[in-house]
Amino acid sequence: MFSKREDQYRDDKDNTMNTSTPSRFNRPMLQGAKWMVVVVAFLASSVAWAAVHNIALTAKALPNGQLAYALGGNEAVIPGPTLFVKKGDTLSITLTNSTEVKVGFEIPGLSAQNAGRINPGKTKKFTVKANKEGAYAYHGDMGGKELLGLFGAVIVDKPAGPVDSYIEANGNIVPVSQAQLDKQFVLFMVGSTFWGTEISSDGTQKPLWANPNPGAVENDIVRFHILSVGPGHTFHLHAHRWLKTGTREIIDTKLLKEEFDTHSFTIKAGSGVGAGDWQYHCHLIAHMEAGMHGSFKVDPVGGDGASLVGASPYGRILLGPKDEPGLVTFEVSDEPASWFRSARGDAIVKLSDPAANGSPLQGVDIKTKSLEVMSPGSSVNFIMSDTNGAHTISSLLWPTGAHHMPFDQSSAYRGGGIVKLDTPGLYVFTCKVHPYMFAAVIVDDPATPGLDLGNPQQDFKIDLVTGIKGLPTSSDLAIRLLQTFFITTAPPNWQDYSSGVWNVRFPTIPVQISGAPRDPNLTEGGIAAPLSILNVTNQTLSFGSTPVTPGVGEVWANTQFEKTAHKYKPGTTTVVDTTNWTVKRKVALPQINNNNPHNMWTSRDQSVIYQTQWFDNKLSMIERETGELIKNIQVGYSPSHVMTLPTNDDITIAINGENGIYIIPAGTTKVSKMLPTQGQGHISANPHGHWISSDGSKIVTPNINTHDIGIYGAQGGIQARTPTSVNAPGAHPIAIGMMPDSSKIFAANLLHHSLSVLNESGELLNTINLIDEYDPMTGPVDKNGNGEFELGILPIQSPVSPDGKAVVIATMGGSIVIVDTATEKVVKTLPCDPGCHGANFGAKQGGGYYAYVTTKFSNRLTVVDIDPNNDGDISDATIAGHVSLVDTPHTAKDDRMSELPGFGGQGVLAVPNVYNGWVQKLPAVWKAGLTSDQQNPIGH
Amino acid sequence: MSFQSNPLCSGTGLFESSYAAQSTPHAVFKPLLALFLGVMMSLLLNGNSLAAEHVIQLTAEETRDDGFGNKLLAYKMLSHTIGGTNVTHRYSTEATIPGPTIELTEGDTVKISILNAIPGNNVPVPGISKQVSIHVHGVHYDILSDGTLKVINKLFDEGAGAGLEETYVVYEYKWNVAPGTAGTWAYHDHNFETHNGAEHKGLFGAIIVNPIGAPQYAKEYVLYLGDDAFWGMEINGANKKQSKHGPNPTLSAREDTRVRFHLIALGTDIHTFKLDGYHWFDPGTHNLINQAAIGPLEKHVFSVKAEHSSQYEDKNLSNRLLGMRGKFNVQ
Repeated sequence: MFSKREDQYRDDKDNTMNTSTPSRFNRPMLQGAKWMVVVVAFLASSVAWAAVHNIALTAKALPNGQLAYALGGNEAVIPGPTLFVKKGDTLSITLTNSTEVKVGFEIPGLSAQNAGRINPGKTKKFTVKANKEGAYAYHGDMGGKELLGLFGAVIVDKPAGPVDSYIEANGNIVPVSQAQLDKQFVLFMVGSTFWGTEISSDGTQKPLWANPNPGAVENDIVRFHILSVGPGHTFHLHAHRWLKTGTREIIDTKLLKEEFDTHSFTIKAGSGVGAGDWQYHCHLIAHMEAGMHGSFKVDPVGGDGASLVGASPYGRILLGPKDEPGLVTFEVSDEPASWFRSARGDAIVKLSDPAANGSPLQGVDIKTKSLEVMSPGSSVNFIMSDTNGAHTISSLLWPTGAHHMPFDQSSAYRGGGIVKLDTPGLYVFTCKVHPYMFAAVIVDDPATPGLDLGNPQQDFKIDLVTGIKGLPTSSDLAIRLLQTFFITTAPPNWQDYSSGVWNVRFPTIPVQISGAPRDPNLTEGGIAAPLSILNVTNQTLSFGSTPVTPGVGEVWANTQFEKTAHKYKPGTTTVVDTTNWTVKRKVALPQINNNNPHNMWTSRDQSVIYQTQWFDNKLSMIERETGELIKNIQVGYSPSHVMTLPTNDDITIAINGENGIYIIPAGTTKVSKMLPTQGQGHISANPHGHWISSDGSKIVTPNINTHDIGIYGAQGGIQARTPTSVNAPGAHPIAIGMMPDSSKIFAANLLHHSLSVLNESGELLNTINLIDEYDPMTGPVDKNGNGEFELGILPIQSPVSPDGKAVVIATMGGSIVIVDTATEKVVKTLPCDPGCHGANFGAKQGGGYYAYVTTKFSNRLTVVDIDPNNDGDISDATIAGHVSLVDTPHTAKDDRMSELPGFGGQGVLAVPNVYNGWVQKLPAVWKAGLTSDQQNPIGH
Repeated sequence: MSFQSNPLCSGTGLFESSYAAQSTPHAVFKPLLALFLGVMMSLLLNGNSLAAEHVIQLTAEETRDDGFGNKLLAYKMLSHTIGGTNVTHRYSTEATIPGPTIELTEGDTVKISILNAIPGNNVPVPGISKQVSIHVHGVHYDILSDGTLKVINKLFDEGAGAGLEETYVVYEYKWNVAPGTAGTWAYHDHNFETHNGAEHKGLFGAIIVNPIGAPQYAKEYVLYLGDDAFWGMEINGANKKQSKHGPNPTLSAREDTRVRFHLIALGTDIHTFKLDGYHWFDPGTHNLINQAAIGPLEKHVFSVKAEHSSQYEDKNLSNRLLGMRGKFNVQ
C-alpha cells in the first residue's frame, strides 16, 4: 500500500477543486485554465467543476537498475502511480528527475502543453488536459528507454454515471459506477512481461510487480485497465468475456497496437464459469513462449481473493533491499558487447572498481554489463528496448537438473522475456539470430561458499543446449565458455592492436565449480576460487606485417562495432586498398543512423555495394567509388547476408529474423517478393549466411532456427531441407560455401563445431568434426601427433575458394581452419584473434587467391594465402600478413570515429568479385586486373 | 444436472484415474459450481425450448510431412450429434487445418471429448507434455474444461495423452453456450509439449455461436490469419457441408448472395486484413471499413453481399511479399 487515488496525490496549496465531490461532475466539462474555472464557480455554483490535479512525480532508478516513477515521497513503482481523473480535469505534473538520464513526460492521446526532456537533477512542470475519456499511458518520452519502467496509467472517466458495463452470466449487460467496483487492476504489457497494480475499492494502490497473479472473489466486479508501450500484443483472459469499448460486441481477446495502446473493461469474476486459476496472457505465440502470462485467481465465495505479488525490482537480487522474490532485468541492445545489458550494468561496473571506496563491491573488478546475480526463486527479465532488430532469448547453458530449461521461443520476434529461476547455478542466455549476444545470471544458494556456477545438488555441473549433460564446471570446455563470455561482453578485454598489449580481467569474486581443483593455485577447500585466476596481464600484441604481394582492388570489411560521433547506433565499413594495404575509406552513414552493418555484396558492374543492417530492418545501397548512400531500403527484421544472382544480378537478402529471402530486382530499389524458406505453417527457418550456385539456379541457406540446410530454386520452391544435427540437437548451421561448379555445399555448424558436406541435391555426404583434437574435460590433444592442435571451435563463415580447392573457415574460438574440398580433411589450422568471424576470397596480384578474414574482438584483418607457391597444393596455406582496420589521417570518411576503432569485423567482400559465375560478368576494366585463370577459375 | 464429470476415463490399467485426487484440492468449489450452473442451466432450458445438446468427438493427428520430414498437427471430427441426430457428414473425413468448424446456437450445451492419435502420445517423457487439448474461447465452462495443464489450472492435465503429471486416453470438456456468448471463437490446443500448446502447429479451429433467430448466409468462410498464410475453409449455408480446407484457399460465392467472413488470427504476427473492393461494418459499430487490424486470437466477423470477384490479403509487409492472399470468386 503506498498511496490513495485522487485525494492523496494532491498538493493542496495549488488546488482549486476537490474531486472527492463527484456529484458536481454531472455536466459537460469546461475547457480552459484554472482562472476560468474559478470564475465560472462564482457565477453558477451548480455548474460542473473541472479539477486541477497537482501531482508531484519523481523519476528514480530502482535497486535492479530499472527506472520508475514515485508519487510524492512514496516508493517508486512499476507501473507508475495510476492517476484517476474525470473528463475535463487538468493534470499539472511536477516532474523531478532523480535518474542519471534525461527524462520527459508524455501522454499520447491527450494534449500536453509542455514537452521536452529534463536533465538529471532538474524539475519541470507539465500540464495535460484530460479532454477525452479512456485509459491513457503516460511515459518518460525517452525513445525506447521508457520501457525500462517509466510508464503508468491515467484513467479518465465520465464525470458522473456508469464508468463501464459488464456481462452477466445470463448475457445481460449491466452498467457499473465507480463505487460498485470491488477492485481494479492495471496491467501493463511491456516487452513480454506484465507489470501490475491493484487498486482496492477505497482507492489504495498496491504494486503487484512483474507477472503477478491478481486475485478476486467469485462475483466481484473487477475492472481491468490493460495498457501497452512498445511492440504490440493481444490480451486474453481465460473463461471471461467483456465488451469491445463503446459497443455491445462481446470479446475475450484484444489487440494492443504497437507503440502505445490501452483497453479497459469490466467483468464479474467467475461469472458463468466459477472459481479457478484462470490464466491471462499475451496471445502472440512468441510472447507466450517468452513467459508472458499469469493467473487471475478467482476464489470461491468466502475466500479472501488476495492477489499474489510477482517478481519485484526491490527483491532478492545482489544488493537488493527486500526479502521478497526479486527481478533482474536485461535491456536487449544494439550496443557492442552489451547486447544484453543489465539495467544496472553501468552502476555495477562503477561499484566494482578497485578505487570505489566504500562500495559494497569495491575491487570486485567487473568489466561486463551482462552479468547478474540473484537468489533462487527470483526472476530474470528481458526487454528489447534498445534494438531495432528481431531476436530470441534462448538458453545456451543452465545448471544440471534446472526446471523449465531450455528457455526458448519458436521464432524470432520483438518484445522481451521473463523466466523464474529456482535452481542455483549459472544460466547463460543468447539470441539464436545473433549468437554472440550473451547474458549470464548466477542464481546463488546463500548456503554455499562462493557463487555457484553449477547446481550444488549435482556437483555444480551444467547442461548445454547442444545435448551435453552434466558437464563439470571444472572442465576445459566450461572454463572456455566462461572466458568467451567475459571477453565477448567486455570491450576492455578485447585485443586492440594500437595499444600493443592485451589484458583480460575477470571478476575477483570466488566461485564454486565442480570436483577437484583444476588449477594448482586452487588449494583451499578445493573448489571455491576467484575467476580472476584466469586473468591475462599485459600480454604483448604484435601486429605483424602487411602481405608482401598486393591483392587486386579493394576489400570492404564491416567493422560492425566501431562507433562514430554523429550517430548512436554502432558500425562502419572499412575499405582497404589492397595495392598498399591501407585504410582508404570509412563509411559510417550517420544520416541514416547506420546500425550494425553486417554483410555485403556488389552489383555486377561493381559500382554499388549492398549492405545489410543486421540489428535493424534495412538494406543500404552505397556508391562504391564515393562511399555515398544511394538508398536505405526497408526489408524484413534482422537481414543478415546479401548476394546477387549471377544470372540476372537480382539481389537476394536472407531475413535472419523472419522466414524467407527478400528479392530486389536488379536496377530497382524496391522489394518485389519474399521466397519462403519453409512450407506454409511450418516453424520459421530464420536463414543466416546463404550462398548461391554459380549458375544462379539455387539459393542455399543455413537455417539457424530449424538446424537444417535449405535448397531453394532461385525463383522459389523448396528443393531440399537437410538437418545437419547428427546424433545431438542444436547444430546451428550459420554459413554456406559452395564449390564453383556447385557440386558440393559446405555448411558451418556453429554449436556443433563441424562442417557439413552436402551434394547439390541436398544429400548429407559427410560431417567434418572440427574439434576432433579437443577433449571437453582436459582441453586440446594432439591426436595426430603433428605437433599442432587443430581446433575449430564455433565455426562461422566458410567460403570455398573460387578455384574450388579450399574451404576457409573463420572460427570464433580464434582459428582459421583450411579444409581440402577433395579429401574433406582439415589440412591446416592457422591462428586468428578472438571472435574470428568473416571470410571471403579476393584475387591476389599475379594469380591465386587471398582469403580475407575478419575478427570481432580485435581490429586487424588477417590475410590468408591458400597456396603461396601456386602449386595447387593447399597444405602450405599460410598467413600472408595482417592489415590494420583503424583509420589514419589519410582515410576518407563521412563521420569522425569515436570508440572501438576498427572493431567488430564481420562481413567482408573483395572487389572485384572473383567467384565463378560472377567473375565472368565483370566489366572489362575490372577483368584487366585479373589473370586468365582468375577470369575463368575452373576453366571451360 | 451436474455440469462436469470429466475426466472421462477409459479405465485401462495403464492410465491413472484422477478421481481420488479430484476430491481433495478443490472439493469445496466444485459442488457449489455444479449447483450454480445447474440452476442457471435449468432456467435457461425453461426459457428456450430450442436448446440442443451437442455430443462431439475430436481427435488430433500428425499431417503428412512436407516432403522434407516436417509435419504439422491437425484436428479431425470423429462424430458430432445434435440432440441425437448425427451430423458428422458435414465434416471432412480427414484431419484438417483449420480443424472442423462447430456451429452452435446460444442456449446449446456441448460435451466434447478429445482423443490423441499422435504417435507416442501415451508415453510419458519428463518435462514434456504429449497431450493435446481443446481450449475454447467465448463460451462458458468451468475450470475442469479449461483444456490447460495442471501447471496453469492447478488441478489436472486437462487433455488426452501423457501430460506432465497425468495421462488420459480421452478427456471430455463441457461447454455451456450461454446467452451472451454469440460470436465466432477459436478453439485450440493448450497442452502439446509445453503449457502453450501447439496452436501454431495446426491445432486450431473455430466455433460459430449464432444467436437464436440469426440470419442465414449462403456461405460462411473461416479464415485463420497465420504467420505466413491464411488457413481457411468454406461452409455451404444450405447443407452445412465443410470444404476447401488449407492455406490461402479460393473462396467462392454466387453473385448477390450474402456471405459471412469469420477471421481469427493466430501465431506471432499482427495483421492488416483487406478484401479488395468491399466495405463492411466494423463489428459492433455502424462504421464502414475496408480493412482491419487483427492480432492473434482476436476475431473479426462481417458479412458482405457477394457482388464481384476479389481477393483477400494481409498487408503486413513480409506476409504480403510472401503472397499471403487468396481469391474470392463470385459467379
